[in-house]
Amino acid sequence: MSPAKYNHIDDNELLQRFYTDHDNEWLGILLQRYTMLLLGVCMKYLKNEEEAKDSVQQVFLKAINEMHKYKVDYFKSWIYMVAKNHCLMKLRDKGKYTTEINEQLMATPDEITDKNNYIEKDKALTSMAEALLQLNKEQQVCITLFYLEKKSYQEITAQTNFSLLQVKSYIQNGKRNLKLLMDKRKVDS
Amino acid sequence: MSDDLKNILNNSNKDIDNQKLMDYLSRQLSKQDTHDLEKMMADDDFINDAVEGLEQFNNVKKLPLSVEQLNRDLQKQISKKKARREKRKLKEQPWAYFAIILLLILTIACYIIIKRRMDTPKPPAPPVTSQPIRLKE
Repeated sequence: MSPAKYNHIDDNELLQRFYTDHDNEWLGILLQRYTMLLLGVCMKYLKNEEEAKDSVQQVFLKAINEMHKYKVDYFKSWIYMVAKNHCLMKLRDKGKYTTEINEQLMATPDEITDKNNYIEKDKALTSMAEALLQLNKEQQVCITLFYLEKKSYQEITAQTNFSLLQVKSYIQNGKRNLKLLMDKRKVDS
Repeated sequence: MSDDLKNILNNSNKDIDNQKLMDYLSRQLSKQDTHDLEKMMADDDFINDAVEGLEQFNNVKKLPLSVEQLNRDLQKQISKKKARREKRKLKEQPWAYFAIILLLILTIACYIIIKRRMDTPKPPAPPVTSQPIRLKE
């Protein structure tokens, strides 16, 4: 089966086909869609090209075995968790990663997706504009440049003199703080 | 403006294709596409981790080759598993064995019958004489 032939079929449909006839070919098509992303994730954690490639193969094997045992609803989130856990376990075995696997990693992807989606966007626009002003200066600048002025990471680093890592961190933390502020406002009102 | 503001907490769940990723890594995407992809990164930890990892490869241009190799290995693995499964399937189907045994029995029976026929002595043939047969008058 050539994966390109099935480009018009989305992940859910492929999952359904797999659960109907338990043919691993469907799983193969699904996994191949994420090979590059999985390679990137493994490389990010393991910092070694060969180890990253080996880990992707192990993640594939794990996925093929596990998918026959459990019903997976959100393949993308699930395979990401499998890859991330695999890398963290590997690092822990090497002694490079000593902290406990946090609750988020142990949670199922469904729970995470639910958590991410629980904010109703439309109702909160005014509140968000005000919340944006409550962020610290750096987060405010990066969020504004990125989301409102649609600048790229590179442009923001050039304009603000922050490093690329700082820009990403300010955007992610700023986004998280915005959510918290919005929740607080919701509770207060 | 309000749409942009709304987008901050809007987790985009779009899929990303490998070519776009490669173009991003080699800085060949347009400004708009670069921003779109970075927005996906900000919204999606999977894509963010992946891009950060892919950027660490020594030779980004070789990435498609590595991906292709991994996909080929995956296909091999799946075909192997499939063959094993088919084999097991055969084991799980007793009628297949029954058919094979029946075929064997039939073959052996045919062999025995043919052999017996060949071994049975034939009745002696009437003697052939060179004299002409005289008809009774």
